[in-house]
Amino acid sequence: MNCDDSRIYLPAYLDDELDVAESLRVQKHLADCGNCRQAQDQQLALRSALRDPDMYARPSADFSKRIEAAVRRAAKEEARSHRSAWFDSLRLGSLGWVPVAAVLVVMATIGAFLVMNGGRSSHQELIASAVLAGHIRSLQPGHLIDVPSSDRHTVKPWFQGRLDFSPPVPDLSELGWTLIGGRLDYVDAQPVAAIVYQRRMHNINVFLWPDRGSADDTIRQQDAQGYQILHWNGAEMTYWVVSDLNNAELLEFAQALRGH
Amino acid sequence: MTSQEKLCRFEEQISPHLKSAYNLARWLTRSHEDAEDIVQEAFLRAFSAIESFRGENAKPWLLTIVRNTSMTWLKRNRSARATIAFEEVLEDPAESSPDPEEILMISCDGEQVRRALEQLPLDFREAVVLREMEGLSYKDISIATGVPLGTVMSRLSRGREWLRRILSTPQPVKPQEGAS
Repeated sequence: MNCDDSRIYLPAYLDDELDVAESLRVQKHLADCGNCRQAQDQQLALRSALRDPDMYARPSADFSKRIEAAVRRAAKEEARSHRSAWFDSLRLGSLGWVPVAAVLVVMATIGAFLVMNGGRSSHQELIASAVLAGHIRSLQPGHLIDVPSSDRHTVKPWFQGRLDFSPPVPDLSELGWTLIGGRLDYVDAQPVAAIVYQRRMHNINVFLWPDRGSADDTIRQQDAQGYQILHWNGAEMTYWVVSDLNNAELLEFAQALRGH
Repeated sequence: MTSQEKLCRFEEQISPHLKSAYNLARWLTRSHEDAEDIVQEAFLRAFSAIESFRGENAKPWLLTIVRNTSMTWLKRNRSARATIAFEEVLEDPAESSPDPEEILMISCDGEQVRRALEQLPLDFREAVVLREMEGLSYKDISIATGVPLGTVMSRLSRGREWLRRILSTPQPVKPQEGAS
């Protein structure tokens, strides 16, 4: 091996990328040639300068935590958007992620509904998915109520001029259902009233709008992966109630509301 | 694979290489803020692609994603900070001295070494960082950067030569006694 060859092979030799036979040839040449040894020393000096720990850019501990949290969040969101019982993990206390994920969740909800119902997308089912989406949307910070009041005489008039109907807003406080306010929502291609009641930290959204199509006041109940959706038709209005409250209590609420 | 299984696998095999990911992104972009953004994006990409990771060698797998994310980022943000494109590689620094009697010493000054590496054209810098700092094999570098093995070798060798010349300071050799 001459010096020209040696210089070509030297980097790969130092990087341990030559096979044994080639390595031995380089080694032998280096033993005999001072100039090439000098070149080797320079390569090694450069290497140790580059491998100096101070040259290595290290992320801050804070950044590492942020990344870990971001990945966990992504995993959680992915789990939620799957068809598993993702609603279970949705709690009022942990809504930090909601603004980011809200759109995804709402879309996933509608999607899940369609899947759950085997593609039967009847009108009623579309409304059910829309009110459920509305309920979830309302749980975002600041989205629950437009008019915060426990006074039905404040909530009911607030809808004047905002809707072309006047929604009944019964006071059910004696039965243990606290009125906390109302807001406008949009379901079935029309603006609707959403009245919000509460029992123990569980929010209950009551969506209602005029519908004279059917007077079937049987309360129909469906379970949407952890949430309860109740529906019946009143004399003039159609009602949809959504909450994470348990089955029995929510039914009691619906009966109280229907009775008014 | 459930999300939980993906997360376990990710945290066990990929997360430990966060340092390498940041180091690479930092050297490619030469910016702390950009590096953090890139690593975050790359980690989320890696998480969603974890099922395609066959468990062979996690570090080159992750660094490939970081590298590609960085390149997209650099293209998108080509501005005043634009990197030197491969074609417009700076002129090679001249040999400090033609005098063969001079021994060239490599500067050990950290600041100087850092600046020299930062000035190195992007493709060379990438190869040098992957090799010297991350210890990737030629083959892994070739896969990560999507160029043939021969190109990796030539980039490494030219990059190192470039650095060597920039960092060399001539040291006069004492005249040998008895020379006539």
